[in-house]
Amino acid sequence: MSERAAAPHPRHRIAARVAAAVSTLTAALVVAAPPAVALPPGAPPTGMVCTPGTLVGSTRTFHLAARTGYIDTPDGNSVFMWSYANGDAPDAGKFQSPGPVLCANQGETVVVALTNSLPEPSGVVFPGQDAAVTATGGTPGLLTSEAAVGGGTVTYTFTASSPGTYLYESGSDVAKQVEMGLVGALVVRPTLGADYAYGTGTQFDPSREYLLLLDEIDPDLHHAVETATRYDVNAQRDRYFSINGREFPDTVQDNGTGQLPNQPYGALVRIQPTTPSNPRPALVRMLNAGLLNHPFHPHGNHTTQIAQDGRPVPTSEHFAETIGAGQTADFLLRWDDVDQWNATTHPLPVGPPNYRNVFFKDGNTYYSGSPYLGSKGTLPTGTVSQNVCGEWYFPMHSHALNEFTNFDQGFGGMGTLLRVDPPGGCTAYPTSATLVGATLKSGAVTALAADDTATYQLNPRTTTRPTATTAGATTITVASAAGFPTSGTYDVRIDNEVLLVTGGQGTTTWTVARGQLGTVAATHATNATVSALATDWYAGFTGLPAGAQNLKVTYKGTSCATTTGSTCAALTTNLPQQTVRICNWTVGGAAGCATPTSPGWVTLPPPPAQPQGVGSTAVTSTWTLPNPAAAYVGTGANKGQVRVLVHTQRFTAPSPTPFSTWGNLLTVVYDAP
Amino acid sequence: MPARTRRRATALVALALAVAGVGLVGSTAQAAPVVLSLCAQAGTTTLPGEVAAVPIWGFGVPTTPGDCSTATPSLPGPVLTVTEGDTVTLTVTNALPAGTAEVPHALRIEAPGIAFDPGPTDAAVGATVSRTFTASAPGTYLYQSGGDGGRQEAMGLYGALLVRPATAGQAYDDPATAYDVEAVLVLSAVDPAFNAAPDTSDLHGYDATSWLIGGQPYPATAPIVAAAGQRVLLRYVNAGFDNTSMALLGMHQHVVARDARPLTQPVDVTAETIPAGATEDTLATVPTTPPPGPNGFPLYNRQLHVTNGPQTGTSPTPATGGGMLTFIHP
Repeated sequence: MSERAAAPHPRHRIAARVAAAVSTLTAALVVAAPPAVALPPGAPPTGMVCTPGTLVGSTRTFHLAARTGYIDTPDGNSVFMWSYANGDAPDAGKFQSPGPVLCANQGETVVVALTNSLPEPSGVVFPGQDAAVTATGGTPGLLTSEAAVGGGTVTYTFTASSPGTYLYESGSDVAKQVEMGLVGALVVRPTLGADYAYGTGTQFDPSREYLLLLDEIDPDLHHAVETATRYDVNAQRDRYFSINGREFPDTVQDNGTGQLPNQPYGALVRIQPTTPSNPRPALVRMLNAGLLNHPFHPHGNHTTQIAQDGRPVPTSEHFAETIGAGQTADFLLRWDDVDQWNATTHPLPVGPPNYRNVFFKDGNTYYSGSPYLGSKGTLPTGTVSQNVCGEWYFPMHSHALNEFTNFDQGFGGMGTLLRVDPPGGCTAYPTSATLVGATLKSGAVTALAADDTATYQLNPRTTTRPTATTAGATTITVASAAGFPTSGTYDVRIDNEVLLVTGGQGTTTWTVARGQLGTVAATHATNATVSALATDWYAGFTGLPAGAQNLKVTYKGTSCATTTGSTCAALTTNLPQQTVRICNWTVGGAAGCATPTSPGWVTLPPPPAQPQGVGSTAVTSTWTLPNPAAAYVGTGANKGQVRVLVHTQRFTAPSPTPFSTWGNLLTVVYDAP
Repeated sequence: MPARTRRRATALVALALAVAGVGLVGSTAQAAPVVLSLCAQAGTTTLPGEVAAVPIWGFGVPTTPGDCSTATPSLPGPVLTVTEGDTVTLTVTNALPAGTAEVPHALRIEAPGIAFDPGPTDAAVGATVSRTFTASAPGTYLYQSGGDGGRQEAMGLYGALLVRPATAGQAYDDPATAYDVEAVLVLSAVDPAFNAAPDTSDLHGYDATSWLIGGQPYPATAPIVAAAGQRVLLRYVNAGFDNTSMALLGMHQHVVARDARPLTQPVDVTAETIPAGATEDTLATVPTTPPPGPNGFPLYNRQLHVTNGPQTGTSPTPATGGGMLTFIHP
């Protein structure tokens, strides 16, 4: 498979799965079956999912149930399997393949209690555990103690003495039981902490920890076990090659997808380019639980091997590494964007490829239409892009290419995708700007898309007072209300007096309170200028996907000392106060954010704290919103919309001066689902 | 038939010697000229699980050099042992049955990693070839006959060649390779259908049913007898056609050499893949704590070739374990 080629997408399969899910849902409604949840609460959609077991003191206990069940394959087959169910899962031991990922900390006592529902005795071995594994209960077998048929039990106890990635697997009738799927992963975290794989040189980004367990299946052998007919291991001819119990393209589906109820673990690997704010690599733990040696090949950057079989090795760089049967290997994976290609500032030395030459499968593609990371471009009519924001998808797969198939049809099998997100995640730029308490001085919304010399400049809204004003008047008329807030209270200034508008908003007759903010009510001449103390405007973003998480809002702007002039006049004292807010769509929908004082606006949470004083020296701030972020991404008629409001106000007693607001950069960065 | 019975008995004696690491010892610790004499000839071996005795071609040691009527072939061939610095002459007489024009049964004596002196490499049926070399580097080597396009290896013409360093009790010159117990593990497989018709069988259909350590499957494999705390040197020689992963439970294997060359940065592994035709040396220290099962610490083929003979039942046989499996125990 070529670099950066588009991968096929399982459209038909998904349609079938959706149909199946709908029918399952219907059935569930009829029988009111409890939901099957193999994963612990809060499990992330991608990345390794630990089964924590139960920790009492320094003893961590896991419950495994050896039992039979079925998995789905992308070609529509259903294969009979043996595996370890997770007795500690919310579903209390429903069948899953492969076994649960057991996670423990170095030094803990690990207890694995096995209950055997298989038609023959079964025991577990723990390759790579050099501390003694003692068994209680059960009966001694060839390699280890075994649990009897009919619900027999055996309990293994050992000290997790060395950090690393290990297999656990059947130690009974191994030529059948391991091939049938009785395998799983055991992760021991070092005393250094959960963001280290081993020693000090092995720190990684804990939000980017991946585990890829390789295996293979001969469905004829599985059928023989299911039907109790001849089981000839010497005739083994594998047809399915799996990562985490799934075959490509199912491997790129989320953890716990309802489409694969018995195969809870996805295998999509996501990283971001190495940057000063993203300096740590991802960790990819690989295990070969199968009977064949698998040459595994990530496209794109090299990976750095740091360990084999739970023991550090001299580091080495690979773009293909054979993981032998029964072996584990750990890799640090980073994306170093050495070429820094950029559509505008650093274009490719030759033109991007004609999109007609890019591979599309069944009208679906993971290609963005642009070769630049973070950019999207034109795609052929009718092509459905799965690409959210110009991220890249690279294959990671067995380079024994017969294994990159499902029953001889490629691509499939032992493959997944390496997803490289743009730096920081996906970035959205404003597509519109709405003035809710300001007038446009200069610039266009596109100026907010880049940190450059182009700015979006605003002045406080002004109008005039056609008639003279007495010091005692509490109702005043103005020439126009356009550009002033239409609800809520707000301050305006006439000469050196501040008035608070408390009624008549949106009309030309306002009810006002006089002499605000330390000023003194005074008389004002005919045709005096009435100006707002604040500028309020919001930027609209579109196209955010449902399920976007980890929203981060970045705004860079200045406040300049005059409302005229093409350069920013210095403003360094008594700085205007800036508050940036985001629209919570669950409060009144679009109406909840229609005006600067609408109830839907939520002040972005610190750090940095708001309001901030912003003068003619630019201030760049990034706020991170807590998850879940769904409230900030519109739905229905406002689908995919995000709105960010910038409110800037200033009053300087006793002689207020007008200022202008210059926006330079406004972005929303997010993790796409 | 009486002759065959006698021959097989002798072969088993030779096999036992090979497993014990004695085999054919070329010299004492002093570097010296060494002559090793072998015969290549047909015989049989009995493998648990196979329905009949399996024809083999193997190397044997003639008690009268050059007289192959005094030799008995074994699977694998005898362990040849020399000492670093020895000047070695390996003389092999081809006593194989007569071949055909396409499969002439000519020997081609090879030992990957050994630099033989210039000279003839082959011996036709009835002829003898002598190859000489200086045992310049300690280590574990594979010797074999590469004749007949791989068919002779499949028939059993292979064995282990050990070059010991000047210091006894070490695998290499580095004292870190000292060991207490040594085990020579020649890995191979047998397809009896091929062995029954070596000249005419189609190698495309080669389908092994016996998986061997030192020419036998479990439970006939030699156990590795070592006490707690002892350092065991595992000398792997992969004479089979598959890259083979050997897993050891309860202790890591410290890989000190691959293909008779010490690693500058040894690694610790649980399952080590030995490529076809390669050798590896690992050291494992027997824990003082009990093994996971009653038979000791299992060392087995992690591709799970742990069965014996044709598989006709609903479960792998024998249920009590077979194939490339042995145990380290006291």
